[in-house]
Amino acid sequence: MNPSPEQIKKINHFSKLPIDMCAKIAAVVEIDNCPVKEELLTEGETGDTMVLVFQGQVEVSKSMMVKAASGFTTSRKSIIRLETTDPPPAEDPISEATVAVVQLPAFGIGEFSLVLDDAIRTAHVVATTPVQYGILKLDEFSKIVEENPAIGGPVYFEVAKAAVNNLATASQDISNLTQAFFFSLTR
Amino acid sequence: MSELNQPESGATDDLSIDKLEKVVETNKDLYDELNKLTEVEAVEAYDTGEEAAAAVQEEKKAVSAAFLKIKNIYLDNDLFRYAVWSILLMLLSTTVLTIVEYDTFRDSVSGHLGKDNPNFFDTFYNTFWWSVVTFTTVGYGDVSPVTHFGKLLSIIIMLLNFGIVTLLGGAVASVLVAERLKGDDKLDESKFNGHLIIAGWNPSVPAVLRILQTDKNSTSVVILVNETDGELIERAISVFEDLDITHLCENFTNETVLRKAFLDKAGMFMILPDNSGLLPHEEPDEDKTVLTCLTAKAISEDCPVVAHVLNPENVSHLQRANVNEIVMPDEHVPHLLAKHVTNPGVPQLFDELINQEEDDKGIQQVGIPRPLMGQTHNKISAYFKFKHQWLLVGYAIRKSGFSLEDQMGESGSPLIRDMITEQLEGAGIKLSSDEHVVVEINPPDDYVIDDKHRALVLR
Repeated sequence: MNPSPEQIKKINHFSKLPIDMCAKIAAVVEIDNCPVKEELLTEGETGDTMVLVFQGQVEVSKSMMVKAASGFTTSRKSIIRLETTDPPPAEDPISEATVAVVQLPAFGIGEFSLVLDDAIRTAHVVATTPVQYGILKLDEFSKIVEENPAIGGPVYFEVAKAAVNNLATASQDISNLTQAFFFSLTR
Repeated sequence: MSELNQPESGATDDLSIDKLEKVVETNKDLYDELNKLTEVEAVEAYDTGEEAAAAVQEEKKAVSAAFLKIKNIYLDNDLFRYAVWSILLMLLSTTVLTIVEYDTFRDSVSGHLGKDNPNFFDTFYNTFWWSVVTFTTVGYGDVSPVTHFGKLLSIIIMLLNFGIVTLLGGAVASVLVAERLKGDDKLDESKFNGHLIIAGWNPSVPAVLRILQTDKNSTSVVILVNETDGELIERAISVFEDLDITHLCENFTNETVLRKAFLDKAGMFMILPDNSGLLPHEEPDEDKTVLTCLTAKAISEDCPVVAHVLNPENVSHLQRANVNEIVMPDEHVPHLLAKHVTNPGVPQLFDELINQEEDDKGIQQVGIPRPLMGQTHNKISAYFKFKHQWLLVGYAIRKSGFSLEDQMGESGSPLIRDMITEQLEGAGIKLSSDEHVVVEINPPDDYVIDDKHRALVLR
């Protein structure tokens, strides 16, 4: 089953598109269900698909090397939870959120795959409630953009905005890590 | 004011008498302006008001400190506790027996003293005599209760007395045995708070103590930790009657010794080159200074540590050990020598300032009245000049140390920030460096003063 054009329009990346354009995207997306605890994206893997979440809550986490009593070990750290509001999740989350829960009508993840065919997933995304989602493939989206160039501008603008934000955050992270590195060297 | 600070060589040609008068006039105007400020009126009120309030506060503090001290002694000292109970029981039994056996004890007084009508206090005193004779198990038997009720009370008192006197005797014995076993090295904890600990012994220690003795604002409680012979130290410190000095004859690099000196409660820890046990030609081992600094910071991050080193190579080690201040007296020598050539008089001035040992003379650090916070340097300077006749030289400013958390703020991703914090804390690395003091000398007139500033004045 395909989502409705209205469902597509609720996603931030496509919110500026006219409804007939959203209908073209909806036509190539198949709605699927993901059970609780299932991974929608796995960190480190490459992919050419963007996941569009229409209903449910997901947790975004990253694997990090931390020092424990037994030595260095890899631990998964939660970053954020994303939750749909229109409609809200069908069930309560399986666990209490320890990080911020950002609520959106619907949302997309792995948006860099709309630009790169071998985009590396930068985080794990796990369903914390049953999730209703759809997959938008790079080649199908590229084909739509080729046929309807007007779609490209607003969508690529949102992707570029996300990339620039990520770059700014990464730059600040490097700055913080450098400071921490020199600080720890002097202690 | 700053114009007057111009070097003489540059000033003679350009500065006319008119200009000088103008500068003097400006200073007068500044003080008049300052007097118009409501803040200065507040300072006048503040000075006297604060002194009175401080005196009352001080009195309250002293009373509560005395009560606290007695309470601590009662709780910690078995001997004191049993002695208190013994005295209370004696007074109680005296009171009860005086009431119950009044006639018997009164007759006994008249029998012994030949008084026809002994008063209440004679009788009470005679009963107290009986209590003490009974409690100490001497039992002269010169006077004793005669009524059944009086004898019954005496039996109860004697049985209670048996228990308490036994405990008291045990406490006396245990105190004597404990003193013999541990020597005299356990310090009275209640005395030590905000005290100064000086680790190491060399000829500069008596000089430091002499200056401390003249300064009424600094602590008078000092612990000397070194392995120099106790008698030698006793002789050296006997002249400092106003200071409460304790000598711990132990190795100051040892953590247990520093804890025994209550380093965690100390106001300042000073590490000096230690000449203990050295021959005159031998150099002190400065590795001990670095090691002691590391140990001290492991015990208490917050206790300020001042280290005196002779070898500049140790400065970086001490900085790594997180020492708060490093004193290297010899580093001034080349400057002083050179100034004898370039600016004759400056080294003499320096000597004069630094060697002033009178309490109210020389360079001193004083507080700035609160209402003047937020004012500019020229106003603070005028305040000290015209109110106290002191010359404001500069400011000692407490700078809070570098804080990694503040530095990172909200920048970057929270995940990375949390990871940095967790990992550094897990590795025992404190995320901020200690507060330290920096000096601002003769700042511009419009330099603004805040509550981190203390004035450095020449009195």
